[in-house]
Amino acid sequence: MEIVRIGLLGGLLGLDATSVGQFMVSRPLVAGTLVGWALGAPGLGLAMGAMLELYLLVSFPPGGSRFPEGATATAVAVASAAGVEAAGAVPLAIGVGLLWGQVGGWTVTLLRQANAVLAPEPEDASPGPARIVAGHLGAIFADFSRAAVVTLTGVWLGRWLVGALAGRWPLPDSASWALLLVGGAVSAGILLRDMGGFRRRRVAFVAGLALGVLGTRFL
Amino acid sequence: MSAGVPRRAVLSAFARSFLIQGSWNYHTLIGSGFAFAMLPGLRRIFAGSPERMAASIRRHLELFNAHPYLSGVALGAALRLEADGADEETVRRFKAAVRGPLGSLGDTLVWAAWLPGVSTAALALFWLGVPPTGVIAFFLIVYNLGHVALRAWGFRVGLSDGREVGRSLARANLTRLSTSLQPIVVALLGVLVGSALGGGGGLAEAGAPWVALGAAAFVVGLVVGHRAWRPAAAAVVACVVLLSAVGVLG
Repeated sequence: MEIVRIGLLGGLLGLDATSVGQFMVSRPLVAGTLVGWALGAPGLGLAMGAMLELYLLVSFPPGGSRFPEGATATAVAVASAAGVEAAGAVPLAIGVGLLWGQVGGWTVTLLRQANAVLAPEPEDASPGPARIVAGHLGAIFADFSRAAVVTLTGVWLGRWLVGALAGRWPLPDSASWALLLVGGAVSAGILLRDMGGFRRRRVAFVAGLALGVLGTRFL
Repeated sequence: MSAGVPRRAVLSAFARSFLIQGSWNYHTLIGSGFAFAMLPGLRRIFAGSPERMAASIRRHLELFNAHPYLSGVALGAALRLEADGADEETVRRFKAAVRGPLGSLGDTLVWAAWLPGVSTAALALFWLGVPPTGVIAFFLIVYNLGHVALRAWGFRVGLSDGREVGRSLARANLTRLSTSLQPIVVALLGVLVGSALGGGGGLAEAGAPWVALGAAAFVVGLVVGHRAWRPAAAAVVACVVLLSAVGVLG
């Protein structure tokens, strides 16, 4: 029953990315915490969501472009790691999440091809209001179903993999998180480049860096 | 009445603009979503004239695209044009003229500055030890204050200015706004990097080799840019697979 609940939550979170609202509850930071709450582990959900948010910091919500789907990836990652005590649970689940985000992105592309059939076109004989509303809401329901199925299958696969391999993970906790942070550091570098690069923004960056280091000492 | 359209229909069109990307497809992009959002207004404007209503629906089903948060500019202006009785060609030309700028303005302001800025600030709060509720509340409230304000502003100026909406967009100078956000985002990124380095569960806790690896990864991202993203994520997945294999075989 729990896996179905997470699937439905993944469906709702997936809707926010493109189809409904874009209030950014689909961002990994929020999605991870919500799935964590649903599973009784909000702290783990936030930590894993933060890690995936760092990865997807430079990945925009899809309009016409194809990007990994953050909401389903995060739901899969958190639900795969929740309740598993072994040190390997988090890195394995994040790995599954990163892969599943690509699968999610691919299903979004397929849905958009299918939407061309669902949505009425100007050349249609009678594109009346009822046909437009039915086509549009039908496409939104299809997106919800897609995200729910992607989440459900991802959680099933993720839990199986994490259950089978987490106990044999060779790194301790701190090194496992560090490995994931090293991957996320690439996104931080890309963001600095997008914002004008180090040379142009060095004062702001170094001032922030000093504040961040001091903040960890005094807060 | 707002710009010749009853207030209730205007509010309904604005509410529907939050679903404008619901049937995004590779043929008409958000064309059918645009027509879906126009329906409440068109029903009032063309009440008692089904032929004109059908013709209007057809032209709004045509290919259209814009950033979702700024699509309301075109939506409001199109409602105004229809209410003013503008001819078919004027409506078509107006929509064709605004779709490019509304896409690039939104991408530059929202996806490339506002979203990464608020995300970075929320991530920094997380690494500084703020509890989950605080981090999530900060992110959702701050981000959506900007988001909903931008949507409401865009829809309002579209509806009030109609085809002259370009002047309001030029006065608002959204490009300059996004440029002025950049140093703030960079400072927040600095705070994030500093806190992820020295905070609980940060790189420094794992030891100097991990700090060096993190710095190298950061430089790779800085030098290579977006082309580095997929290979970096693939490298992390490959490391996880490799370490799992070592664990199983060892």
